[in-house]
Amino acid sequence: MYIPIIGALVGIILGVIIPYDIPINFVKYTAIAILAALDAIFGGIRAQLVQKFIFSKFMSSFFTNTALAALLAFIGDTLGIDIYMGAIVVFCIRIFQNLSLIREEIFDRVKWCHIGSDNQRKDI
Amino acid sequence: MVEIRSWQVGIAIVSMMLGLILVFQLRTEWRISTTLPTRQVNELAKIYGSQKMQLEKYKQENEYLHKQLKDYDRDQEIVRLRMATGLVPLRGQGIFITLTNYDKKLDNYEDPNFYIVHYYQLDLLINELWAAGAEAIAVNKNRIINTSGFSCAGTTLLVDAKRLAPPYEISAIGNPANLKKAITLPGGYVEQEILAFNLKFSMETVDRIEIPAYKGAISYEYARAVKERK
Repeated sequence: MYIPIIGALVGIILGVIIPYDIPINFVKYTAIAILAALDAIFGGIRAQLVQKFIFSKFMSSFFTNTALAALLAFIGDTLGIDIYMGAIVVFCIRIFQNLSLIREEIFDRVKWCHIGSDNQRKDI
Repeated sequence: MVEIRSWQVGIAIVSMMLGLILVFQLRTEWRISTTLPTRQVNELAKIYGSQKMQLEKYKQENEYLHKQLKDYDRDQEIVRLRMATGLVPLRGQGIFITLTNYDKKLDNYEDPNFYIVHYYQLDLLINELWAAGAEAIAVNKNRIINTSGFSCAGTTLLVDAKRLAPPYEISAIGNPANLKKAITLPGGYVEQEILAFNLKFSMETVDRIEIPAYKGAISYEYARAVKERK
C-alpha cells in the first residue's frame, strides 16, 4: 500500500525539482492527463480488489486513454470546438464508477470480516 | 519485507506521473494567478490612456462640428442662393439710369434707326454694369437673371420674352461710384453708345433702390446637376 504513496511523493518531489511550466495553451491537456491518471489509479485499485489486475493491461490502458484524450483535445483545438470535454466527462464518470465499485468491495469485506468468512481477501 | 506486487508498481508509476503533473499544473496556475493580473492591469492602463486620449479628440471634434453647424445656418444659405438666383426682391444702394430714344422730330431723310435704343445698347450697358460689380440689375422692374437675354422687337425690345418700351429704367445695386465710373469712362459706354447717337440718358445715385424678384419660371430641361465628388 505504501509503494503508490511513495510513487506519488517521488512525483511531487520531481515536479518541484524540475523547473518546468506548462504553457497556458496546454492546460487542457494537463487536465486530461490528471483525470486519466486518477482514472487509471482508481481502475487499478478496483481491478486489484476483484483480482483481475494485469500490469501490462493497466499501463497500456492508461497510456492509450491519455493518448486518445490528448488527440481529442488536439482535434478540438484545431476545429475550435471543446471536444476534450467529452473525454473529461468520460474520465469523471469512470472515476466515480470505480469509486463506487471499490466502496462496495470494501463494504463486502468488512461484512465478511464481521461474519468471519474464509472468503476474506487480504490483498490490500 | 513486504512483497512488492505488480499492481502496486503500476499504481505507483501512475501516481508518480499524477504528482508530477499536479505540481506542474499548480506551478502554472500560481504563475497565471500572480503574473496575469498585473499584465492585465498594465494593458488596462494602456487601454484606458488611449481611450481617454481618443475621448478628448472626439470631444474636440464634436465642439468643432457644433461650431461649424452654427456657422452654417441653412436658412442663411438658402436666402443667399435665392438672392443669387433672383427669386427674392433686393434693395441697397446703387444707381438708377434712364435711357430713352432721341425725341427730336426727325426730318424725312433721317433714318430713325439711329435715334432709338437698340437691344444691343441695353445689353452693353448691362454687361458694363455687371463687369463693374453690380450685384442685381432690373430693367423696367424686370429682374435680369443669369439666363436673361435681349432681342430686338421693332421700336421696342424683348428681355426674356417680355416686351419693354422706352424709356428704359435700369436700376442696379452695387457700389454707385464704381458703376458710374465704369459707364462714363472716356471712350466707354456713354461716349460710344449714348453721345454718339444723341440718346437721352440720365444717371443718379440712389441710396436705397429696390429691385423686384424675377417673375418668370426657371426651368431646366436639358441641364442636369453633376454630383460633386468630395
